[in-house]
Amino acid sequence: MQKMFKLASKIQCDVLIIGAGGAGLRCAAHILEKRPGTRIIAVTKVAHPQKSHTSTAQGGLAAVDPKDAVDQPIYHMFDTWKGSDCMADQDVVRKIVDAAWEEIVWLENKGMHFTRDEEGRLSKRTFGGHTVRFGEASAFRAVFEADRTGKGIMDNVWGEALKGGVTFLDQTILTELLRQGDRCVGAVLFMEKPGDFVAVSAKATVLSTGGCGQVFRVTTNCRQNTGDAHAVVLQAGLPLMDMEAVQFHPTGIVGPGILASETLRSVGGILRNKDLEPFMARYAPKMKELAPRDLVARAIETEIREGRGILNPDHNIEHVWIDLRHLSDYVHEVQIPEVSGFFKQFMNLNPRTQLCPVRPSNHYQMGGIPTNSFGEVQRPPDTIVSGLYAAGECGCASFHGFNRLGTNSILELITMGRFVGERVVLHLDEAPGALPADAGERTFSQFGGYLELKQKENVEQIREEMRRMMTEQVGVFRTEEGLKTAIQALSAAKDRLREAGLRCKDLRMNQELVQRWELDNLLSVSMVIAQGALRRRESRGGHARSDFPQRRDQFNAHTLAYMVEFGKIRFENRPVNMSIFETKGDHFDKFGLIERKY
Amino acid sequence: MKESYSLTLDVKRYDPDTRISWMQTYRIEAGRILRFTDVLRKINKELDPTLAWNSSCEHAQCGSCSVVINGRPMLACELLVENAVTHFGTTTFTIEPITVAPVLRDLMVDLEKAYDRVHRIRPFIIRPAQNPNQGQEYRISPRVMEGYLEATRCINCFCCATACISSHKGFLGPNAVMASLVRIMDPREDATADRLKQLYSEEGVYRCHSSMACSHVCPKEIDVAHFVALVKEGDFR
Repeated sequence: MQKMFKLASKIQCDVLIIGAGGAGLRCAAHILEKRPGTRIIAVTKVAHPQKSHTSTAQGGLAAVDPKDAVDQPIYHMFDTWKGSDCMADQDVVRKIVDAAWEEIVWLENKGMHFTRDEEGRLSKRTFGGHTVRFGEASAFRAVFEADRTGKGIMDNVWGEALKGGVTFLDQTILTELLRQGDRCVGAVLFMEKPGDFVAVSAKATVLSTGGCGQVFRVTTNCRQNTGDAHAVVLQAGLPLMDMEAVQFHPTGIVGPGILASETLRSVGGILRNKDLEPFMARYAPKMKELAPRDLVARAIETEIREGRGILNPDHNIEHVWIDLRHLSDYVHEVQIPEVSGFFKQFMNLNPRTQLCPVRPSNHYQMGGIPTNSFGEVQRPPDTIVSGLYAAGECGCASFHGFNRLGTNSILELITMGRFVGERVVLHLDEAPGALPADAGERTFSQFGGYLELKQKENVEQIREEMRRMMTEQVGVFRTEEGLKTAIQALSAAKDRLREAGLRCKDLRMNQELVQRWELDNLLSVSMVIAQGALRRRESRGGHARSDFPQRRDQFNAHTLAYMVEFGKIRFENRPVNMSIFETKGDHFDKFGLIERKY
Repeated sequence: MKESYSLTLDVKRYDPDTRISWMQTYRIEAGRILRFTDVLRKINKELDPTLAWNSSCEHAQCGSCSVVINGRPMLACELLVENAVTHFGTTTFTIEPITVAPVLRDLMVDLEKAYDRVHRIRPFIIRPAQNPNQGQEYRISPRVMEGYLEATRCINCFCCATACISSHKGFLGPNAVMASLVRIMDPREDATADRLKQLYSEEGVYRCHSSMACSHVCPKEIDVAHFVALVKEGDFR
């Protein structure tokens, strides 16, 4: 048994990228463009980068075309600032919005199959929360590839990474970050197929592992999004930021919680309660169905809680309807084929003639690993961990603050992915650091422990109970009592895990082992979310406290949470960057602490 | 139509340690609208945590969960219990791994090896064509895109490659051929001749025997055989 727990090999490379989705591979593609021949290893826990969760993103990419007669970057920045409920970092917002169009052109020139207008130019459409002239009217700002924009991006950056010579390690997980003093010098990985542990030495380590939505029972996130890098970062003594800022997408399909894209609303779908009333007119008189997601999610949740929802008997879940019956054939067949098809596929319903059941579903984690606007991981208040970067959903620069607008997420992947690439290139001529002598010890102790535990408890059972509890107590509406219940339940689950051993002891392709490890990660992430939500006694963006329903100025700061020992969290604050406001340029007043009404 | 069904699943297992395969039977209750991925998860919870099976998105977008059910390759996440019972006319199902790559354990295969064939056709723009609008997007007519847009929906789930009656070793495979055709028809790709040379080589379209099994099983309902036929006819621009 002891023989299994040693490093099978030590690998050297220039850049180690953990997570081979849109952000990670955009980063890789940039580095290879500037410095061909750079040795890059991209690690993914799925079977192949194309299987990354990026591929499932539907909606579109927000980007202001400099040639647009009406739209301007300052409007996009404003929409993002307002949408964030005044918690996005303005230096990040400016940087990403300004870089957006260039990234779109890059994607298109590299072969992405954007939807076009009759002149052959990129089509544009509206999206919730995106406006011109500071909220006056909807902006045609999003470019898209039918309703599979994420797939387009993924196929594109994967192709470019392959072309440039990236080495892929599939079905491989990050178990430990390696440091020499303050510098990150690489990582320990577990390769699931051969069951081998390897130590990788790298000049730069990039974390781009996506979200952690599997902490919730009802989520759009894939099975693999279990917050692994989030947990590893905590173990390394580094903080996570704003983890309580969770987005609940208003319209997940009842049962599987699969995303029924905002596009359904952007093409004219109408939400109705059990009385068939189009209730959004009461919650957002101007924007109605196109109001930002947290607003729509709370509206639907309120309708359900006040008894105007409908109960689905198979899943025992309450929901409202989305009405697509009045939309044209063109819309059904060309604009929303995939997402409209979901109702047929997973509920046996015909959206052209039947109402479709939807309910709020966990969707996105606004919080994550704190970085600056270059994607460099921070050790607050003002130093960076050299050699360590984060981009995409697992990072928190913060672009989205406490609520993310649709079409801003996949924009973040390609922009932050590139910014990290730019930074990495600057350091490529430095010598790599030496790996610490005890590289892997922590991993071996953890994994060895799993094999020695009694097999009293079932991992899947505990995972299911924990996730259901999180959806109930740490979901769309939170209360002090509910959050305290959650924290206790998480500690109890952690105790039960002490007797959740493994029946399969062979390390090769051992799903049981990986799921046992994932559950530890899920519990860590859940604990940080629950305690962060408890500490933040206000409502802001996606974080809604029924007992503190207003936004409160005393909480105008990012939450930093350190947790080296399970359950024991040390909190700090990080100030919000207000650089657009402070520069006092045109429209600076729009970037102060503004009200968030639509 | 019932609320739930008593299912019998005969699953092909494989242990890499002993190198032994065997069929294992699981009997389980399943709600009518559960997906087969939900059922496998239920087996892990109630009967056998060691049963290994792959999935990620579980809504037919990523192509990770391909398996062969009662002889037919499909995505486990797309098969609803009540549809399975109706379509196959039974509550007994045989579940096996797809055949395009070596089995790692139980229903998990080494997809990385299956992807070798897709990588060989170079799924990117090999040589960009001249862009008359430098610094901007290429202008491409939607009419031109219509010719190949369906093929871009492919998620490389390898159901078509599993169903294909041609050898996995000798033939690039339907999904790889289709991926190359997309770039042949894409006006932004200049290396058309290189691509065609590969598609008309020993491992190219001559290996296709026109069974059209690929189109028959594609979970995205892409007419894969149509695109392979276009290559055979030399008709694409």
